[in-house]
Amino acid sequence: MTVDTASPAHRSGSIKRFFERFPFLPALIILIVLLVLNGIYQPRSVSMIGITSLVKTYLALMLLAVAQTYVVYAGDIDLSVGAILSLVNVVVITLMQQWGGGALPIFGAMAAGLAVGLACGVVNGIVVAAFRLQAIVATFATSIFFTGLALYVMPVAGTPAPTAFWRTYGGSLFQVPFVFYVVAVLAALLFALTRTRLVTHLLSVGDDAPAAFQTGLPVTAIRIKGYALCGLFSALAAFCVTGDTASGDPLVGGKMTLFSVAAAVLGGSALSGGFGTVVGSVVGALIIGLINSLVYFIGTPSEWQNLVQGLAILLALMIGVLVGRMARR
Amino acid sequence: MSKLKLSGVAKSYGATVALSRGDLELEAGEVHVLIGSNGSGKSTLCKIVAGSVKPDSGEVLLDGNPVTVTGPQAAKALGIGIFYQELSLAGHRTVEENICLPDLPMRGPFIDRKALSQRAARYIALFDGVTGQGFSADATVDSLRADQRQLVEIMKALATEAPILIFDEPTSALDRSQVERFFEILRRLKENGRAMVFISHRMDEIFAIGDRVTVIRDGATVGTSRISEAKPAEVIHLMVGEQEDLVERQAPASAAQPSAGDAALTGKHLTGPGFADVSFQVAKGEILGFGGLHGQGQSAVLRAIFGASTVDSGEVLLGGERFTPKNPRQAITHGIAYVSGDRGRDGIIQGRPILENLTPVHFLRERLFLARPSALRAKAQPAMGSLRTKFGGFALPIGSLSGGNQQKVVIARWLIDRPDVLLLDDPTKGIDLSAKADLFSLIRELAAQGLGIVLYSSEDAELLVNADRILVFNGGRITRELTGTDRTRYNLYEAAYEAAA
Ligand SMILES: Nc1ncnc2c1ncn2[C@@H]1O[C@H](COP(=O)(O)OP(=O)(O)OP(=O)(O)O)[C@@H](O)[C@H]1O
Ligand SMILES: [Mg+2]
Repeated sequence: MTVDTASPAHRSGSIKRFFERFPFLPALIILIVLLVLNGIYQPRSVSMIGITSLVKTYLALMLLAVAQTYVVYAGDIDLSVGAILSLVNVVVITLMQQWGGGALPIFGAMAAGLAVGLACGVVNGIVVAAFRLQAIVATFATSIFFTGLALYVMPVAGTPAPTAFWRTYGGSLFQVPFVFYVVAVLAALLFALTRTRLVTHLLSVGDDAPAAFQTGLPVTAIRIKGYALCGLFSALAAFCVTGDTASGDPLVGGKMTLFSVAAAVLGGSALSGGFGTVVGSVVGALIIGLINSLVYFIGTPSEWQNLVQGLAILLALMIGVLVGRMARR
Repeated sequence: MSKLKLSGVAKSYGATVALSRGDLELEAGEVHVLIGSNGSGKSTLCKIVAGSVKPDSGEVLLDGNPVTVTGPQAAKALGIGIFYQELSLAGHRTVEENICLPDLPMRGPFIDRKALSQRAARYIALFDGVTGQGFSADATVDSLRADQRQLVEIMKALATEAPILIFDEPTSALDRSQVERFFEILRRLKENGRAMVFISHRMDEIFAIGDRVTVIRDGATVGTSRISEAKPAEVIHLMVGEQEDLVERQAPASAAQPSAGDAALTGKHLTGPGFADVSFQVAKGEILGFGGLHGQGQSAVLRAIFGASTVDSGEVLLGGERFTPKNPRQAITHGIAYVSGDRGRDGIIQGRPILENLTPVHFLRERLFLARPSALRAKAQPAMGSLRTKFGGFALPIGSLSGGNQQKVVIARWLIDRPDVLLLDDPTKGIDLSAKADLFSLIRELAAQGLGIVLYSSEDAELLVNADRILVFNGGRITRELTGTDRTRYNLYEAAYEAAA
């Protein structure tokens, strides 16, 4: 509920506005605390090598969380991002294997992968926005369908990626790890996207879809575009998984789907739509990554790891919500 | 030739006929008032022109040419701009983004932030000085008060620069200074040859700004006349048809003496967000009015007593006992009722049936866990009947009701179980004249039964006619008390504008 702002004593107005503009601040604080904890239990984890490997492993989840965020902006959800990731992964690997491991075939395969991701996104968008099916159920159904396609393309996991591909992803350029270039390009891309009309439109639809329609916005087209963008970023995430695991696996993305939703929420986005930031989702993905490694570093017995990991994510969510609420007061 | 002409436009929702024969002729350079009771089809007619509702039949002529408005985008292209009664704002976007949302200025692939701010600033400047505290170009709409949000919707409609502008109850939450400014703007637009439709339930406004008036009753246009040739009584008569004369019925209420009985509710030196050192007492059977300009702390005090916001210091006595509710739940179980004029935010449960919207308080007060719908309907029926609510059935979603009828549901919810204290926070927003009269005679009846009633209204006439005593708020404090024969429009204006000027 909105607090009455008619107050003559306009308390902490600037702090409030600050948090409204940067809703991911609580997540950022949690991230720093986790980095410190990781550093205490395993000093090497906060070294250059440690951070590089963290980014290498979780870049895919970051991208998937970003993908999820664009549909969450509009109050939708996409439970097929993991399946899209898997499908793109096996398509890219299969094409690279058939066309050979040179630069041109690799880029060709990646272009095909982007096209697949885009197509999947558009299918989701049409099913949800044009046919008006419930997003949560419809994308659950398409996720099964996409997984089926992935299994058709590659029935068993294990086909390797061309050496050039994963060597590049895991390697360095001018002493700087390749993934950091990816992060830099990604940051520029996200910044540019934030300033596009589409993002403002998505957020407006998420705030109040009937109002957006009455305003004259093409609501259906906007939602489809949101899903299309989501499909594209899922494909980008697939490239990272392919680079990281160096092989094809038709089921690789399945378990990542709900992590992408969790990352978006951790980053301060509202599942009801209209409010959030992609930066927050990236931070959310990193929080999940750091929790996973911390659970490992503190030496949790393997049978307890899931339990501890789950509790830690819950705790992070709670802290995020509480800090946000306090600041906005 | 008329700028816009509607003939025989009709729209039904299932069995509900929202509009059966809508006729309207709109000329360039006029403010055309549309008037009719709640649920008579005014908003439906406007939405048809604006393209957000598709008519079942009828003809729309623009400059003499028949057109089909296929959607809001098409309306925009045809030069039609609209203010929606229920507003069409994105809550988390800023004021300036909302103003420019229908047509964001672009620079290559990106939004041109600078152009956006400049464009918005032009329309914000129109209301310079009357926007109130907390209003700024970069404030999110959710953080604004109801009247400020309404101003944003006005600016958004103006920013379309459309030759045809439709205003569906744009003034329902505005205070006098804001209305006056808005009317100045309308007059200027009129000189520039814009064609405008204006809807309001306030007679004085209609006569202040209108050139012609079209009356619509039960979904059909019954007539158009020049305002200069019309009399309020005639217009009301046209509006309500064969029902009894309402002007008569409104007058006598304030004759009632404030009973010197026990205090129902006492506030002592209440201070909190939005108000400071507020002390008052309402006797059982009394109607206490809160007056003054908008947002001077009246709502804030009422909300605090209801437990919806905090009290920092001071104390509340309920029937002599100290009681400070921590949340609305506690307030309700202790017999406090609160009706907000901001039904979108505080009143209705969007998307749920009418019955569910009527009974949450009943469930809480009776501690019900299970209930038969038929038993609930039997309890809800008299409450709805006493306000003459027009609705198709209890199972229909709340959104199927017209704005005013939704508000009646919000009020009716408190009438099922009788409370001890009734807090009315601008309760008649969007309610038509006949229902208003019903509501106030009902409130008077409730007072006679021993309830303590606090009434805040943005409409001065309402306060003057209905309140036994009026406390005028200014800057979060009570600055004047008007009793007996002091309760005049002049005194109220003077006290309200005193420090604000
Ligand atoms: N979406 C809908 N579904 C079903 N019925 C509707 C819908 N919209 C409007 N109606 C009905 O159509 C009738 C006319 O409604 P409308 O909103 O046009 O009234 P109005 O004249 O604007 O009233 P008010 O003064 O209360 O705003 C009402 O009886 C309402 O219940
Ligand atoms: Mg209406």
